[in-house]
Amino acid sequence: MKGFCCGPGYASPSEAIKAPSEKLLYTIAIYTGTGIQKPDYLATIDVDPKSESYSKVIHRLEMPGIGDELHHMGWNACSSCHDDKSMSRRYLLVPGVRSNNVYVVDTATNPKAPRIHKIIQGTEIKTKTNLSGPHTVHCLGSEIIISFLGDAKGEAPGGYLHLNKDFEILGRWENSMGDIPFSYDFWYQPRHNVMVSSEWAAPNTFMPGFDLEEVGHLKYGRRLHIWDFEKKRPIQTMYLGEDGLIPLEVKFLHNPNSSHGFCGAALSANVIHFWKTKNDNWEWEKIIDIDNEPHPDWPIPIPGVMSALLVSMDDKYLYINNWLHGDMRQYNITDPHNPVLTGQVWMGGLLGKAPIVNGVKVAGGPQMYQLSLDGKRMYVTTSLFSTWDNQFYPEIRSKGGVMLMINCDVKNGGMKINEDFVVNFGNEPNGPSRCHESRYPGGDCTSDIWL
Amino acid sequence: MKKITIANRNNATYEVKGNKPLLLELRSLGVDLPYGCQYGGCITCAAKLIKGKVDQKSQVALNNRQINDGYVILCVARAKTDCTFDIGVESHDKLYRNPFIDPLAPHELKADIASIREIKND
Repeated sequence: MKGFCCGPGYASPSEAIKAPSEKLLYTIAIYTGTGIQKPDYLATIDVDPKSESYSKVIHRLEMPGIGDELHHMGWNACSSCHDDKSMSRRYLLVPGVRSNNVYVVDTATNPKAPRIHKIIQGTEIKTKTNLSGPHTVHCLGSEIIISFLGDAKGEAPGGYLHLNKDFEILGRWENSMGDIPFSYDFWYQPRHNVMVSSEWAAPNTFMPGFDLEEVGHLKYGRRLHIWDFEKKRPIQTMYLGEDGLIPLEVKFLHNPNSSHGFCGAALSANVIHFWKTKNDNWEWEKIIDIDNEPHPDWPIPIPGVMSALLVSMDDKYLYINNWLHGDMRQYNITDPHNPVLTGQVWMGGLLGKAPIVNGVKVAGGPQMYQLSLDGKRMYVTTSLFSTWDNQFYPEIRSKGGVMLMINCDVKNGGMKINEDFVVNFGNEPNGPSRCHESRYPGGDCTSDIWL
Repeated sequence: MKKITIANRNNATYEVKGNKPLLLELRSLGVDLPYGCQYGGCITCAAKLIKGKVDQKSQVALNNRQINDGYVILCVARAKTDCTFDIGVESHDKLYRNPFIDPLAPHELKADIASIREIKND
């Protein structure tokens, strides 16, 4: 019976919300670009408030070599194969953006001390698929696709690597990239046979750092793409123009029947809402516009740089960050056309609103975040990407990244930084590292999709 | 053979052939260097050339200002003469720049989009 099967994940978003609270989380930490000649690693963090090691890094899984720049990651299986008892959410796929390697990490044998199960070599991926610059990992049923931002030489638009459940390369997933100029994030909603993808830039453009002038030279994205998911080809482009400069993270609502989704345009600092109309056409609108803020030392006002975006499992709240301003925001999206700001907290940033949080001087601003399935605990990290960190927050080199936790009020709305939780990656044994994306062993708000 | 001097490592010197990228040659001689993509696209291995000449025509990471400031992408650059470098992040003082505070002039962009006329005038 559906809902009581033995496969991974949960029968529905409402079942996921009832899952036990997370006790561990896995977070990327990098030394690439920091001057410390050590491998990047996957940190295990104790988030069980009853544990003596609460709010501490309790294990570090080092990668075999230096220079990967671990960034985003994803599970081998999620609720999309909840009815398949042969599958389990056991392996975390962790790509290195710069090295092109994909590490398959076994988190089940010893959840506190995960270990490398398999390495898909970056050179093999380049040879077999002509792809480089891996980013988003999604499972689809028992198989896996990973978006890559470039070809083997780092030129756009890249494409999608298709792996089977044994992590063997099947080739390219897509049948066509159509006219898509750039790749980045993607999410799919099977009941509407749709995938949506966003645009950052070619690896050769964004990896060395951010040259603002290259936006005007059309080296950065400003479109969203709607795909026929079964035919594996793009069918509609939404040109966002100045409202959608550098559209990064893209998410559908968790409700598998919904066609509503959101994208954060990083440089424009806007939230774009998109949905399917009755005649199967896709429309978009700007629903949140964060004003640039003046800074005494800057000739032009500072943009927010909305680098990530997340929807709570109950589809009630949308969370966004402004990495350069330093705030996290919560919006009630019960009416997705008319979001209502319900919470805001500050940590780091360039506006000087919260330079020290829980006793730690924050280098960077809120950047990546992960939300518990019940929507009450949000873990936030401060590093974006090594070269971009070095441009905007050079002090992060000596101070390292920080993880903080926000208590979110799911009933009335509201956010408050938890005063008992802080993980200072500036104090890591090999020197200051920088923390980025996080995942929970039992699932979270950016992992699961329902068929 | 070319003599490579690492100024910010107590002027340590190494002999290289110049037929392979400096990153490979120096690492094989035991120099601990940062690197990432290993094809000239990501800037992680950038070093500052103080003296000498390299061939780094296959790099695609540096803009013209960074090149004019002496930066070299070691994973693709080959030594053409004896060279002196500063290496590692200590050499990156001019590599990273806040693009909002300190924008690039048209001739300082990457080669594929830089203003040709202004390069000639430079």
